[in-house]
Amino acid sequence: MSLLDFSSDVFIAAFFLYSGSFMLFTIAIMGRKWSGRKPEEHTARWGRIAFIGSSLGLICHLAYFFTRWAGSGHIPVSNMYEFMTFLSMMIMVAFTVIFSIYRKIILGVFAVPVSIIVMAYAAVFPQEVQPLIPSLKSIYLNIHVTLAALGESFFAVGFAAGLMYLLRTVDFASKEKNDRKQQRLVEFTLFSIIVIIGFLGSVFAFRGAGYETVFVRSNVTIDSPGQGDSTIEKVSYKMPPIVAPYHSEIESFQSFLGMNKPLFEAPSWMNGVNAGRKFNTVLWSLISGLLLYGILRLAVRKPLGRAIHPVLDGIDENDLDEITYRAIAIGFPIFTLGALIFAMIWAQVAWGRFWGWDPKEVWALVTWLFYSAYLHLRLARGWQGRKSAWLAVLGFLVVMFTLVGVNLVIAGLHSYAGTD
Amino acid sequence: MKERTPLITNTKCECGHQNPVGTVLCEACGKPLDREEQLSSGNLEMRYDGVARRSQRVNPGVIDLVWNFFSSVKIAIYLIVLTLLGSMLGTIFPQESTFLNIDASTYYPEKYGTAGEIYYKLGLSHTYESWWFVLLLVLIGASLVICSLDRVLPLYKALTRQKIRKHRQFLTRQKVALVTELKEEPEAWVARMVELLQKKGYRVRTDGAALLAEKHRFSRWGPYVIHIGLIIFLLAVLARGLPGLNMDQHLAFPQGDTVRIPDTTYYLKNEKFTVEFYTEEEMPKEFRGKKILPKLYETRAVLYECTANCTDPSKEPQLAEVARHNIQVNSPLSYNGLKAYQFDYDLTPVLRSVQPELINAKSGEVYGKFKLDMNNPQRSFQAGLYTLSLKEKYMDFGLNEEGQPVSKSPYPNAPAFLFLITGPDLPAGGQQYFYFPKQVDKEKFQMTAINDKLGGSGRFLELEVGGMSDVDFSESTTYLNIRVDRAMPFVWIGAGIVMLGLVLGFYWQHRRIWLAANHGELVLGGHTNKNWFGFRREIVSILAKTDLTVDEKSLDNGGGLA
Repeated sequence: MSLLDFSSDVFIAAFFLYSGSFMLFTIAIMGRKWSGRKPEEHTARWGRIAFIGSSLGLICHLAYFFTRWAGSGHIPVSNMYEFMTFLSMMIMVAFTVIFSIYRKIILGVFAVPVSIIVMAYAAVFPQEVQPLIPSLKSIYLNIHVTLAALGESFFAVGFAAGLMYLLRTVDFASKEKNDRKQQRLVEFTLFSIIVIIGFLGSVFAFRGAGYETVFVRSNVTIDSPGQGDSTIEKVSYKMPPIVAPYHSEIESFQSFLGMNKPLFEAPSWMNGVNAGRKFNTVLWSLISGLLLYGILRLAVRKPLGRAIHPVLDGIDENDLDEITYRAIAIGFPIFTLGALIFAMIWAQVAWGRFWGWDPKEVWALVTWLFYSAYLHLRLARGWQGRKSAWLAVLGFLVVMFTLVGVNLVIAGLHSYAGTD
Repeated sequence: MKERTPLITNTKCECGHQNPVGTVLCEACGKPLDREEQLSSGNLEMRYDGVARRSQRVNPGVIDLVWNFFSSVKIAIYLIVLTLLGSMLGTIFPQESTFLNIDASTYYPEKYGTAGEIYYKLGLSHTYESWWFVLLLVLIGASLVICSLDRVLPLYKALTRQKIRKHRQFLTRQKVALVTELKEEPEAWVARMVELLQKKGYRVRTDGAALLAEKHRFSRWGPYVIHIGLIIFLLAVLARGLPGLNMDQHLAFPQGDTVRIPDTTYYLKNEKFTVEFYTEEEMPKEFRGKKILPKLYETRAVLYECTANCTDPSKEPQLAEVARHNIQVNSPLSYNGLKAYQFDYDLTPVLRSVQPELINAKSGEVYGKFKLDMNNPQRSFQAGLYTLSLKEKYMDFGLNEEGQPVSKSPYPNAPAFLFLITGPDLPAGGQQYFYFPKQVDKEKFQMTAINDKLGGSGRFLELEVGGMSDVDFSESTTYLNIRVDRAMPFVWIGAGIVMLGLVLGFYWQHRRIWLAANHGELVLGGHTNKNWFGFRREIVSILAKTDLTVDEKSLDNGGGLA
């Protein structure tokens, strides 16, 4: 067995260990009220087992990382698959650090699934080892990417704790206007997470079924009078096309549940064949997200926020506030060093300018400014508790847009991160 | 301004200390000065230890008002948020600076429709150079300076003049507070605590049965160190705009050529340019036959400095080698502040020189041969009895809107030369002759027709190249980005100071414990700027060693103990 095969095997082992430890963390918390046991003892015992599980997972994950590094000859953070697997590993590192400080079992119930989702998202991208292009051949690939990911991982733990704070403190029984607003916002946050799970579900379901439909589009561009140029673009859909690319024709169509042509065509402003495909993916994510959300609502017969709320019973909300803030406070300097300072140093060495307002750079700055505002609001304006928790949740959205959204929507110089 | 500054305040504390206007907590004993505040039981506002700041003057003048504006954290947060939103707007469509040659007024409407037009008209296609964005950065700079000065001096004063004995209210209204029974003799107990606290790294001072323990005070300067770093960083970035500190040009270096770098005394020679691609075996199976991945771009470069004849175009400049480096994407040539980065390349061969023969087209007689250099041709040439003087040179021949010949670029894409030939059997004033060394250009621009028109019917002279040995090509061209950036060291110093401040401020916490033991009662107050959780845990573990069992949570003084 080659190193790379071993690497992908232990990666899968890590995935299952995390999933298992997530369930154990959940049992540790949910099982408190089971009969015939003392709540504290139960939580402590099962929490310890769960933490051992997640730590074993992290060891496997580290084994994946270093064997892939050895097998490929370069640090595996050079494309979207590798970066996302690395990010999920760093989230587990950040979780382990914060957990060791605060020893709050409940953190595992919320932080471990964040890592699992990121890990699953990694698997959406092509997994083969690619050789490095000249611009990536630098020691700063190792430093910049790893530190940036580590800093962002602490923000991810801050997000999990912030969300916990909200689920703990929002009054789900109240009918008052302000409380209703909070309930809806929490519900929307949970729904968004479910849409992401829906996206992952549909990607893997259709991939497993081997679905493919191909569209072609011919473009005529006129460079100068008399010199026309015609190119043919092809796009392969891995999910049944609800929406076809603008001005395209079907090359091959695999029918799905009796559907054998797209329901409609993308609007003209979505030019580029891939825009139609991405739009289609968004639609499928929403559909499967709604479906999943509907099923969950049917199962628990109340808003999800209200259903989760009792899980956090008895958890000190001030501790959650403190954990949120502490995670961000630990992550902020690391993020600054990795995502801004080493990014500038590398940009200076590779491109000759330390800052060029490239979309990725701008969004790293936006993230930094956001958390700076968070820190100022908290330290100097006394924004603690609710407001601070919302900012922690929103901040992670900014982080994820910087990491994923910029590549999908804006591209720019960091486009080699391979999102097609 | 959140802090209230009533016009008439009695700022003299009952302990006898006279405090400046704007003081919240007495500088000496820590008792709240505000009457309402004295009756309350909530946590004390410990910002800057309750000391007055410069921005809290009673009758502000104009300068004070400006000072007050910039010293407000609220304003600073607004500035941060506005910069954040402004930066986001700039990423909706690519910025103009992304493109080398576009007409922005037509590019945005054509590519992005109405939205693109609005984007351009609003000036968002150059967000980061626009006046409002630069103004925001300058305002942030001003806010950084004034906010820091407004706070750092009072805070410094407060922390260096701390009294050990504090008012009881000051202790009990801290966020960490404890009032408990003390069975031991107070002085002895305090003496025991001193030792325990010192073991934990505290610096302890006592005053009878009162104690002040403090550690990691330096952490309080973290934010100000960050701000100083940011100010240096911003100043360095602004300084880059000054003339002479910054140079940025993209130059073409054909293989084998030595090219002068404009505005400097340097010349750079591209000895060899190499581009390598990954072989099929080096690629993953999925990529084979589908993708081509570059492996290496390298320019073997030699940098020369001109030592003599640098400005005289009639003389050959004297060059001395000063640096030699194989420039790769992540490895620029660097010499004395000048840097050369691998930027682009072109594998199209570039014509360097030709050696045409002047012949009689009718008889086939060869009059002579000369060497015509594309970049630096001589002014005149001799071919047998004929003299060819160079009238015009076009590196990239083309016609402008009026039909006049022009050079479209400085690169030898389509070189053309206009000669005036004098000699036997020619008109007294000589005969004009257009010469295109490249075969494609001869046909494209109809060289024969042009020369027939210029020379009339009796024309018999032609310039022709005998064979490939008379043509000299450079195989490829490398494009280097030549930069000088004298402000860079300050950018890095600024960034380094920011990092230092972040580490100081975030990874250490300033912890203070006040203890007052008397009449069988122990009063403890604790303050930290971050990580209350860890602080409480530390206090509990220390108290436990004196046989005082305290629950961590009972230290958490949410509402305050009266």
